[in-house]
Amino acid sequence: MTATPADAARPILEVRDLRTYFFQDEGTVKAVDGAGLSVYAGKTLGIVGESGCGKSVTARSILRIVERPGRVVSGEILLREDGRETDLARLDAESREMRQVRGGDIALIFQEPMTSFSPVHTVGNQMIETIRLHQALDKKAAREKAIEMFRLVGIPRPERRVDEYAFQLSGGLRQRAMIALALSCAPRILIADEPTTALDVTTQAQILSLLTRLQQREGMAIILITHNLGVVAEMCDQVAVMYLGRVVEQGPVDAIFHAPRHPYTRALLRSIPSIHAPVRTRLPTIAGSIPHPYNRPPGCPFHPRCPDFMPGRCDRAEPALLPVAAGQQAACFLYGDAQP
Amino acid sequence: MTPAAGDDNRLLEVRDLQKLFPIRRGFLRRVVGQVRAVDGVSFHVERGETLALVGESGCGKTTTSRCVLRAVTPTAGQILFRTAEGPVLDVATLPRRGLRPLRRQMQMIFQDPFSSLNPRRTLLDIVAEPLVANRVGTRAERVERVAELLRLVGLRPEYMRRYPHAFSGGQRQRVGIARALALNPRLVVADEPVSALDVSVQAQILNLMLDLQAQLGLTYLFVAHDLSVVKHVSDRVAVMYVGQIVEMAETEALFTSPRHPYTEALLSAVPKPDPRLRAQRIVLEGDVADAANPPPGCYFHPRCSYAVERCRVETPRLEPVAPGHFVACHRARELTLRGIAP
Repeated sequence: MTATPADAARPILEVRDLRTYFFQDEGTVKAVDGAGLSVYAGKTLGIVGESGCGKSVTARSILRIVERPGRVVSGEILLREDGRETDLARLDAESREMRQVRGGDIALIFQEPMTSFSPVHTVGNQMIETIRLHQALDKKAAREKAIEMFRLVGIPRPERRVDEYAFQLSGGLRQRAMIALALSCAPRILIADEPTTALDVTTQAQILSLLTRLQQREGMAIILITHNLGVVAEMCDQVAVMYLGRVVEQGPVDAIFHAPRHPYTRALLRSIPSIHAPVRTRLPTIAGSIPHPYNRPPGCPFHPRCPDFMPGRCDRAEPALLPVAAGQQAACFLYGDAQP
Repeated sequence: MTPAAGDDNRLLEVRDLQKLFPIRRGFLRRVVGQVRAVDGVSFHVERGETLALVGESGCGKTTTSRCVLRAVTPTAGQILFRTAEGPVLDVATLPRRGLRPLRRQMQMIFQDPFSSLNPRRTLLDIVAEPLVANRVGTRAERVERVAELLRLVGLRPEYMRRYPHAFSGGQRQRVGIARALALNPRLVVADEPVSALDVSVQAQILNLMLDLQAQLGLTYLFVAHDLSVVKHVSDRVAVMYVGQIVEMAETEALFTSPRHPYTEALLSAVPKPDPRLRAQRIVLEGDVADAANPPPGCYFHPRCSYAVERCRVETPRLEPVAPGHFVACHRARELTLRGIAP
C-alpha cells in the first residue's frame, strides 16, 4: 500500500496495461491484452464490444475473480481512496484485503440474475449473509437493512419478498434484488456486466432508470459493460470501445457517437440496426467476423476487417492508444505514428 | 377442405387463434387453471411480404408462430394456408398425415445457431436433411443442391464436409437459413433469427434475409422482440401483449404514429444510440400481466397512463382506425401518441 497526495480529479480506479491470459492445452488465449481504463467518482464508464473482446474478463480481473486457467499476467489495477492507493493486481485473490474490496468497495451485478442467486436459500437470507460479512450488524438489524434496500430498488412489499426464493421473482424483480444485494454495502464502484441483456425492453427501461437514480443518490461510479450501443448512449459519461482484448478507442460519450475516430467504432455504429432508419433498408456491414482467439491477427487486431487497412503497416505493428481529440484516444495508425 | 381465404394474394390467414396451456397441480395432476398463451389472434400474411410479430417475453408471439407450423396444436381457431398446388388448407385441424406435404412449404429459422445445428453432423448432412426426409433427389443431386444452397447464403461449398464447430455464429446462422430453404418453402417462420448474434453480424444476416426474399420471393413471418431489427425487415408489424394483438399496421405507420399506448411505451423504451436523444423515456410501472390470471377489461390497463374507467371493465376489440391500421384500445381515436420521428 502506498500513500499518494489526494487529488479529486484523479480516477478512483485506474487500470493500466492489464493483461489477462488463459493458459490452455490448445494455446494461450489473450483475453485482455494491454487494456487501460479510468473510472471517476460518480460517473459512468461504458465498456462496449462484441463477444470475445475481453470486456467481461476485464471486469472479472478488477475483482480478481478470473477462473482458472485464466490469470492476471501483468498490469496495474489501482484503487484509490483518501489519498491511499492499492494495486489490486498485486493482492492475493484469496486475501482478506481482496475480500473486503469485493462487495465492499466494488460490487458486481451480472447478466443472469437467476443463476446469481442460490435456488435453495431465500433472497433475504443471501442478502443478510452478505451484509453481515461486511458490516457489524446482528441478524435482526441486517434483515431490516435488507428490507430497506429492497424498498430502495423499488421491490413492492419488500417485507414479504425477502422471504421468497429467486425463482418466485420475475426477471425484473430478480435484477432489482441483485442490485439491492450489490448496493447493500454501499460500494464506491458498481460493475454492471450486461445488466439488462436478459430483460425485456420495458423492464430494461425500468432497471436503467433505477441505476441512474441510485447513482445520483449514492454517488457511486458505475462501470457498465454492454454490447448494446443504445444503452451506452443513454447511460454513460465516458466510453471505452474494446476489440480482441484491447481498448481501441476511448472518450466522452458524445465524441464516441458523433465523432468516432477508430474505424472499428465507426463501422460498429453504422452497422447497428437503428429504430431511426427508414423501413426495410440494407445495413452497412463489417466484413468478416471476429477472429477466433487462437487466431489473433498480427499487428492491429482489426486490420483484416478494416476498410482503411494500410498494408505493410497495420499488419506489422500494433498501434498504441494515443490522443486524437480533447479527452479522446484511439489506437490507429490513421492518426499519426504510434510505433511502440 | 375449408372455404378459401378471401384474397388470392394471402398466403396465410390466421383467424381467432387460441392456445391454452393447462396448469396442473397436486397428486392427481388436476387442471387448476389455463395459461391463455394465445387468445384470439387474427392476422394475414401476403405473398412476398414480411409480417413481424413483436412483443415482450410471454406475449405469445412464439406460440403463435409454432401454431402456424403446427409444432403445437392450437386449442381453437383457423390457420388457412394457400398451398403451392392451389387449395387452401386449415393447418389447425389437418390430421397429422396431411401435414407432411405441407411442412415442405413452411420452414423455420431458429434463434440459436449453436443449439439448432447437430454438432456431430457435417454441413452437408444438416442442409440435406430436409431433402433426405422428403426423399428428394439422388445422393449426387442432393450434394449439388447443398452446394447451390451454401452459395446462396454466402458460404463456400467446399466447407460442406466440415462440422458446425468450425464456424462462427453468423456462419452457423447462414447454415440454418440454407437448411430452411432446401425445399423451396413458400413461408419461412424466423423466430428471433439474429438475437443471439453479435451486433456486427446481425446486419449481415438481416441483409441476407432481405436479399433472399427479393431473389426467391419468400414470405416471412418474423418473430422478434427488438424493434430496431423489425424496422429493417418488415412490411407490416403486429404488436402482441398477453396473448393478443393490440396493434397492427404498416411498419412506417406503426413506428411514426403508434395508436396504442403499449406500442408507444415499447418504442420509447428502446435505448436510442445517440446520447443527444437521452431521457424522454416512458417507464412503464409493474410487470407484464399474468396470462393465467389476466386483469379484467383491457389487459394493459394496470400499466397504462391513459386508462379510464371503461378500460377497467370492458375488453377492447382490434378495430381499424385507418386503412390497414388496427388497434385494440378504447381511446385510440382521441389519444395523440408519440412515435419515432421519421
